Amino acid sequence: MASRPKLSGLQKQVLGLYRGFLRAARSKGPEERQRIESIVSAEFHQNSKNIDRKNFLQIEYLLRRGKKQLDQLKSPDTVGLSSFTFSQQ
Amino acid sequence: MATQRLSSAPFVSVGLPKKGFPSLRSSRLRICAAKAETVDKVCEIVRKQLALSSETSLTPSSAFADLGADSLDTVEIVMGLEEAFDITVEEENSQNITTIQEAADLIDKLVDKKAPAA
Repeated sequence: MASRPKLSGLQKQVLGLYRGFLRAARSKGPEERQRIESIVSAEFHQNSKNIDRKNFLQIEYLLRRGKKQLDQLKSPDTVGLSSFTFSQQ
Repeated sequence: MATQRLSSAPFVSVGLPKKGFPSLRSSRLRICAAKAETVDKVCEIVRKQLALSSETSLTPSSAFADLGADSLDTVEIVMGLEEAFDITVEEENSQNITTIQEAADLIDKLVDKKAPAA
């Protein structure tokens, strides 16, 4: 039990958001769901690696953005999710 | 002596018919932990979710963190378990799950809670 360090409020929010995305993905078609899950999972894992844990400003920004995206995804009219990446010079 | 006999025959209590002796069963549940099949199913899901090779040994006391899972992976595991067992794990509870045993115990509790309501 004690092996896990207590999560900070911000960490809980991030995990809650992630959970929300995975829940929302369940309501979509099986193929889209797979796609959504892989995009969301990649995004969260990437950000967890690349962003300094003390960079609260950026984390809070991403949280707000994520919440808005989740609201959009939750709508039954939204059927899918896609992402694209810039190639950085 | 008595404790030795108990520990040498754990299956006797676990294998009791599910609906036969409700009072006896609930009192037993607290003593011996989650059912073996639950633990097995949890192991299977964890293995799939973390993409562990079949050589990796999973025991009930395996901690997710020791298997290389971060907190995001743990969320994924819990979501996978929710779906497999058709339960809903509250957010506060899901953060207390760190080992397979803890997950299996919680699942059995939730499944039991759901059964009479259904």
